[in-house]
Amino acid sequence: MKHLLICALLVSGTVFAEDAAIREDVRTVKESVLELNRDLYELERELLSPATTRAAFHVTLNHGEFFEPLSIELSVDGDMELQHLYTERQVKALRMGAVQPLGDLNLAPGKHDVTVVVRGINHLGQGRELSITETVTKTGKPLITELVIIDREELQSARVQLKYW
Amino acid sequence: MGYLTRFVVLILLSSVGYADTASLSESQDASDQAGIKKEAQTLKPGDMVPDFTMAATNGFGQRLQEARGSFLMLIWLGNCDECSERLVRYQLLAESLSMDGLKGWFVWTPKGDDEPPKMRLPVLKFDSYWPQSWVFEDQPAIMLINADGRLDHLITGDLNDNYRETEQVLMRWMARGLDGQMTE
Repeated sequence: MKHLLICALLVSGTVFAEDAAIREDVRTVKESVLELNRDLYELERELLSPATTRAAFHVTLNHGEFFEPLSIELSVDGDMELQHLYTERQVKALRMGAVQPLGDLNLAPGKHDVTVVVRGINHLGQGRELSITETVTKTGKPLITELVIIDREELQSARVQLKYW
Repeated sequence: MGYLTRFVVLILLSSVGYADTASLSESQDASDQAGIKKEAQTLKPGDMVPDFTMAATNGFGQRLQEARGSFLMLIWLGNCDECSERLVRYQLLAESLSMDGLKGWFVWTPKGDDEPPKMRLPVLKFDSYWPQSWVFEDQPAIMLINADGRLDHLITGDLNDNYRETEQVLMRWMARGLDGQMTE
């Protein structure tokens, strides 16, 4: 009986050890998959939007007392590139300080004319349009920009401004 | 995983991905050349309604995903010119059930110099110019979309003729939905 018990203990110990080894293997495989995923993501980013051509545009709303955006359109060198329609919830989020990633573009190094048109309503509920055209210079580094919609209290109006990060 | 193996897998996957992207852009070019910007879709009850965002003629745009958790009555008007009068009943119906969690949206497709209906509920304007928009093929139609974004009921045909049926189906649907919420 005593021998049988020892045998059972030995067998169960071996099984536990095997289980632990399998768990370790599974963990290693999972880690490898995660690592591979990360590498793939980075490679995809590099292929689709390499640093030399990457241009990212973000939108923020400063106060938003005199202007609420309903839509935004961004064109580069006359070609429409990015468009967005706003919902009330999204405008609320922008008012609370959210930064909206409008989109990433591939721009060749050099000078480009960026035109932004923001349509919305003013504090009296009337339709308003803010626009800006600016020449941006794309270098070999990523171009990261922020389109800020800023209130102009003295005019009870707003304007849109392009900032570089 | 060995460095060499990972490198080979990455190269293979990236080339497959590149081929896919190329074929996708080719098919996109072909559809653009054919002048097809936004194809109207058909749906049947039980299908998930694709997410969309459309501008409204009377306020902020609306996004379907933001209506999740509510009952939604989506009324596709097709093209109509100042058709407010025949929509009043639908507006009152939706407003009377708003306390029970029903949202009502009209979707209007402009044609020529048509004027949109002037309503209190959001009147979304379908415009294929916006990439986030979506259009349903069989209009006019009424869609009852549940809190998960699934199409529960679809009533197609003239809105005047279908009002009674819509009212009955809507009441039963809401009652069942509210019962379900209470038992959960």
